[in-house]
Amino acid sequence: MSSSTLVFTSSDGVDITVDRDVAERSLLIKNMLEDLGESGEPIPIPNVNEAVLKKVIEWCTHHKNDPPSTGDDDDSRRKTTDIDEWDQKFMQVDQEMLFEIILAANYLDIKGLLDVGCKTVANMIKGKSPEEIRKTFNIQNDFTAEEEDQIRRENEWAEDR
Amino acid sequence: MPSALIPQTPHKDDLDNLGATWSFLEKGVDSVMLKLEEGVDMKTYMALYTAVHNFCTSQKAVGNSHGIQAHRGAHLLGEELYKLLGEYLSRHLDAVYHESKSHTEEALLAFYIREWARYTTAAKYINHLFGYLNRHWVKREIDEGKKNVFDVYTLHLVKWKDDFFMKVHGKVMDAVLNLVEKQRNGETIEQSQIKSIVDSFVSLGLDESDSSKSTLEVYRLFFEKPFIAATKVYYENESRRFVAENSVVEYMKKAEARLEEEKARVGLYLHPDISKRLTDTCLEVLVTAHSELLRDEFQVLLDNERQEDLARMYRLLSRIKDGLDPLRTKFETHVRKAGLAAVEKVAAEGESFEPKMYVDALLQVHTRYQSLVNEAFNGESEFVRSLDNACREFVNRNKICTSSSTKSPELLAKYTDSLLKKGSKAAEESELEEMLVQIMTVFKYIEDKDVFQKFYSKMLAKRLVHVSSVSDDAETSMISKLKEACGFEYTNKLQRMFQDIQISKDLNASYKDWQDKVLDDDDRKKLVDAHFQILGTGFWPLQAPSTDFLAPPEIVKTAERFQNFYFDKHNGRKLTWLWQLCKGEIKTNYIKSTKVPYTFQVSTFQMGILLLFNENDTLTYEDIQKATSLAPEILEPNLGILLKAKVLLISPEGSKPGPGTSFTLNYNFRNKKVKVNLNIQIKSEQKVESDDTHKTIEEDRKLLLQSAIVRIMKSRKKMKHVQLVQEVIQQVKSRFPPKVPDIKKNIEALMEKDYIERLDGDEIAYIA
Repeated sequence: MSSSTLVFTSSDGVDITVDRDVAERSLLIKNMLEDLGESGEPIPIPNVNEAVLKKVIEWCTHHKNDPPSTGDDDDSRRKTTDIDEWDQKFMQVDQEMLFEIILAANYLDIKGLLDVGCKTVANMIKGKSPEEIRKTFNIQNDFTAEEEDQIRRENEWAEDR
Repeated sequence: MPSALIPQTPHKDDLDNLGATWSFLEKGVDSVMLKLEEGVDMKTYMALYTAVHNFCTSQKAVGNSHGIQAHRGAHLLGEELYKLLGEYLSRHLDAVYHESKSHTEEALLAFYIREWARYTTAAKYINHLFGYLNRHWVKREIDEGKKNVFDVYTLHLVKWKDDFFMKVHGKVMDAVLNLVEKQRNGETIEQSQIKSIVDSFVSLGLDESDSSKSTLEVYRLFFEKPFIAATKVYYENESRRFVAENSVVEYMKKAEARLEEEKARVGLYLHPDISKRLTDTCLEVLVTAHSELLRDEFQVLLDNERQEDLARMYRLLSRIKDGLDPLRTKFETHVRKAGLAAVEKVAAEGESFEPKMYVDALLQVHTRYQSLVNEAFNGESEFVRSLDNACREFVNRNKICTSSSTKSPELLAKYTDSLLKKGSKAAEESELEEMLVQIMTVFKYIEDKDVFQKFYSKMLAKRLVHVSSVSDDAETSMISKLKEACGFEYTNKLQRMFQDIQISKDLNASYKDWQDKVLDDDDRKKLVDAHFQILGTGFWPLQAPSTDFLAPPEIVKTAERFQNFYFDKHNGRKLTWLWQLCKGEIKTNYIKSTKVPYTFQVSTFQMGILLLFNENDTLTYEDIQKATSLAPEILEPNLGILLKAKVLLISPEGSKPGPGTSFTLNYNFRNKKVKVNLNIQIKSEQKVESDDTHKTIEEDRKLLLQSAIVRIMKSRKKMKHVQLVQEVIQQVKSRFPPKVPDIKKNIEALMEKDYIERLDGDEIAYIA
């Protein structure tokens, strides 16, 4: 594994130095380095600002030695909502940051981080009534009473009883 | 990196504008496709990726896509980009196709390979740049079972195949095949070109249902098929020409070389998938098509013992279906003829040939063709079987066996006897062992193994009784070989005979001790130094003497003493003196012409005659007959021997021994040796013995058949007649090949004796 470092330039123009093996947690970066080789020039990350990028790098640093995920056990891991302790703590951020992290993970193609982010959101929904969910995520109810009734009937089968 | 080349990421506001996004992407894709050698910088790379990402994630684009929203869950964007990319590729490939038209043959191959390399490298880049599209929109489409949607890399391959490959593959293959033909004609070609084409064809094999898997269909259809067809035509023509102008032997060399060459070709630049089909095609055209020709040559090669060429023919024909069967038949016939011819040569010697000549002739043929089977036919079991069949035929049915099939085992046994008897020429022990092994080779083929057993045991008996074995080790070795081949029962008696001799040795020792204790001085003076052998009646193939015999008093005393000793030890046993097998030495004190007295080695019968002359110098025929009680047919030849050796003289001179003649002791006897052997076997005895042996064989076979029948019936209780006959054949055939009428005769005989009875419906039952 190369021990060299790379420089990321965030969308707000801040340069951040990253170990190459940490950076390669992002499949996007990994593929690009494979295609272009290492030129030493800073890598622009046009869609992620400094604060989020740092957070993402923090996660990647912690997880840099994870085995590369394969398709199959990916699925089984995604099915549980268990999140390991470090990740839980890592995700204790405000909602806006949480969504930013998820978007960045999606953009940078960091599967593990995307999973953890989505699981965190899923756990926030689990066990809540529609009303509570709306409150949690600050969603306006734009259904009419009739529409809501119909949806409830259609989805009766899925309800916990 | 010239910054002028770097396009700007479309502004966020333009995201709803597909046209703006695509025109930005197209520029990027175009430079990757056409100018990759100039390099792409990270900014551009990230900008392109981001543009795809941003387009696919833009909210407003929702309105842009079609009104029907059949998707489950979130709506994903990207279809337009995917379509535009596909159209771009089609345009690119169209241009490539037009350019390709100006090339042919090797130039076309070079062009194809160059474009393919460029295209696939770019495809890898573009696949990464459109990574976001792959991960979301494409994945969703594929998950939903849409056909004809592929990840971006595969899309490139599909486009290449549809928009370029399908238009040029014929021309490309023509170029490939011309190149291969050049190589087959002996020219040097650039093999790596073909290798690259093969790789490209293989890459285009896409599994329609799962684009991550590949199939070899495209390769098989567009490469293998024409390749195989061309190969077939090429070798059809070549082999036809070659066969017309060259010998079959030369052709086989050529074919073998070609097969080797094509096999190597697969490793050099073809896909291993073609291997079997290519080999099959070559075999079909080079071997199967000419197999008749090859087989016709087989006999010629055999006749001339062309081992190397035979091996080559074997190798070639062994590779095609049923290629060798006709050879096996021919081989078997050939070996049988060779065996019969060898025997005929021996038979031409007349009656006087040595058993060794006969066995050697058999062995020579076997050895020669066994080595041929091993060297040329790879020791293949089917050929071994053909060899065995042929040998069995000529060993059991040949010119010398015409009188009776028992001649082979008899001669083999005689030859074995000549080896195991003292004075045989095989000096070295290892050499003797080697020859015994060879005897077993012939023995294996003998059908009448019981005949061999009979003769062998007769001759073994003689060797043991006369103490004329070359060594105990050699005897034991031979017996254990026979046991190994035929089982315990076969050698049981032989072994018991051997044991009797060992026991007799001990017995003589204890007899000596006993004598030392019991004899007085008077007895001691008259003592005859004697050695006794006690032979179990059931095990030895010996009969009581065919003639009466009054043993001379000198011996009678000794014999009686031993008898007393023996009965003392083993009460209730019966001893029969086999005088005809006894022998002794007598010293001549009457001949004055020599200082050292002559010693005569004589049979007991001769001893009986000669000792009479201690009392008289002349005796009449009648005197001798009365004194010895010997039957004329024994007495007369023995007198004959004594006359011939001039120990006795007959009167009237020149007449034959018989009533009315008289015999006088020859005081002027002379001989070069001090020890004179008079114990010569009488010719007529020899012949009688052989005839007797054959007679007992018939008798024994009857018993063997009957005991087999009884054994089978005892265990089965009831059985169909036909079945019984079959079983008997099975059980007995390791000893001799039984004849069905004989079996039936013995079944009848057993019915008469009430061992078995006939029931209704051709069934036979055992009577307990």
